[in-house]
Amino acid sequence: MFAGAKKKSMFLTLALVLGIVLIAFTGCSKKPAAETEPVMPEVTQPSETIPRPVEPEPVDPNANAIDYPGLDPSEYGVRDVFFAFDEYDLDDKALAVLSENARVLKEANVLVLISGHCDERGTVEYNLALGEKRAKAVRDHLVNLGVPSGKLLVTSYGENKPFVQGHSESAWAQNRRAHFERP
Amino acid sequence: MRLLLPAALVLLVLAVPVSSPAQRAQTEITAGITSTAYLKTDVLVRPSDVLSGGQTAAGAADVIDRVLANDLVFSGLCRVGDGIMPAPAGQDSFRFDWTIEGTVEGPLRDAAQTGEEVPLTVDFNLLTYPGRQLVMNKRYRPHADQYRTTAHHFANEVLAMITGEPGICLTRIVFSRGTGDRRDLYVVDYDGEGLLRVTANRTLNLCPDWSPDNTQIAFTSYRGGQQGLFSLDTASGQVRQIIAQEGLNLGADWRPDGKELLISLSRSGNPEIYRIDPVGNIIKRLTVSSAIEISPNWAPGGRELVFTSDRTGTPQLYIVDDSGVGGRRLTFEGQYNDSAVWSPNGDRIAYATREHDVTGIVLVKPTGEDRRVITGDHWRNCEDPSWAPDGRHLVFASDRTGVFKLYVYDVVDESFRQLTFGDDPDITPAWSH
Repeated sequence: MFAGAKKKSMFLTLALVLGIVLIAFTGCSKKPAAETEPVMPEVTQPSETIPRPVEPEPVDPNANAIDYPGLDPSEYGVRDVFFAFDEYDLDDKALAVLSENARVLKEANVLVLISGHCDERGTVEYNLALGEKRAKAVRDHLVNLGVPSGKLLVTSYGENKPFVQGHSESAWAQNRRAHFERP
Repeated sequence: MRLLLPAALVLLVLAVPVSSPAQRAQTEITAGITSTAYLKTDVLVRPSDVLSGGQTAAGAADVIDRVLANDLVFSGLCRVGDGIMPAPAGQDSFRFDWTIEGTVEGPLRDAAQTGEEVPLTVDFNLLTYPGRQLVMNKRYRPHADQYRTTAHHFANEVLAMITGEPGICLTRIVFSRGTGDRRDLYVVDYDGEGLLRVTANRTLNLCPDWSPDNTQIAFTSYRGGQQGLFSLDTASGQVRQIIAQEGLNLGADWRPDGKELLISLSRSGNPEIYRIDPVGNIIKRLTVSSAIEISPNWAPGGRELVFTSDRTGTPQLYIVDDSGVGGRRLTFEGQYNDSAVWSPNGDRIAYATREHDVTGIVLVKPTGEDRRVITGDHWRNCEDPSWAPDGRHLVFASDRTGVFKLYVYDVVDESFRQLTFGDDPDITPAWSH
């Protein structure tokens, strides 16, 4: 008697489970028409918001831009600017040179490196910092004049790469500069 | 002689990494002050007895005796006599307190016959004078490339016995040598011998600093194209990048516990002082200004630091605590002060100052008192001081000969010794620990 009851209850459970599965199936096949649309965007959106690696700002392939393949900036009219001892302010002469440089660089399809330099006086570390200040002062002014910042790279060599050897003011004045070069 | 020694024979087998064939550089005393001679310990060093081993042992004895005598003199703590020559003119005559007696024995087997290189046996006794009571005995078994190291080891033992302080005879100095955009790091023994080039990457390598355990040298290099901070493993020669942020990655200084470094980074736009860990993670930014902030250097305890800022318009030295607060200005004299380094015992700060268009080295107490310039105008430009671990000596670069070379200054004797020679400029030295 117990065994019969057990069999009966097992059959009932089986029928119940089957019924639930059946309802679930039919329910599922009916629902999509109403609910798929709000679900879909949630699946696709994350793949669109994956952050892309940040790359240097590309130079605009401007139709009018002039190419200077393999040329140093000095060869297409970009000139270096000079500074007073322990200074990184741009004087009138430097501003005039940079106005002209900005005009050339805006029209050119180039990437230039602005390197900051110092004379031999003073300490190695301070001169590396001072050289960077000079290069950045030049870069910032060119950007203010409308040169895309993506065209300009900056570095400092301090007193390590003098343009003129010597221990006189004339040599020192030549070595206190922001120099434009091919990167 | 050895039969008289006590049973406590100390056997020391040298296992010191040895540099490539030593490049000889002369050393000289450029100035000597006699007034402090009476403070020094006079040591009688007789030439070592060569018991066997022929020319090899005799040559080794010459090297060991010479290096040992130099070490004792360079320490600033001793005068050395050989019992024959009188004290230098103008100085008090010798009054020996100690005597050192050495013996050198050749190998038991003939090296030429076996084809293998067998170490010599070197014995040193430190004795009282004139009582000849044995104070210390050391025995070494050096190979051919370890004679100088053997002498340095024993000199350190003698100096520790005399003063209670460890000697600096096994320390080294790393510096940047070269011109233009090619400067490489070199390491030289503190006595000017054993010159060794340790970088070769055809760019600028500057401003090295030893880790407190001397296993790493942090340095600024353009080897990645742009400036970065790198670390050289002194055992393997391997170089790894510590940090390479956009802009300056300059002037690293290891904290005395070796767990952090100070550095100047311009990632925010202009150079600021940061604390970083040895793999380049930024721990804390310590300065915030639109001025140049560079040349950070820890105080011995690692709780304070000194650095350079031109926030007033000229580069001056400032001291802050390790969270960047409590700043006070250290220098008010001079229009240009940089490259400050705290002495190992904390009682002095050395730095570079520009006066009358010449850069000189200055010593000052951390309170700003007792400022004195140690290099006169005849020294021309002197830059980048670095302290020896004894707190008595410092090394700096000077162009007094027309080209920057390294010199060692004895703070007590006020004497100078030229450390490096040659035509290429040597800059930014750092003494090991």
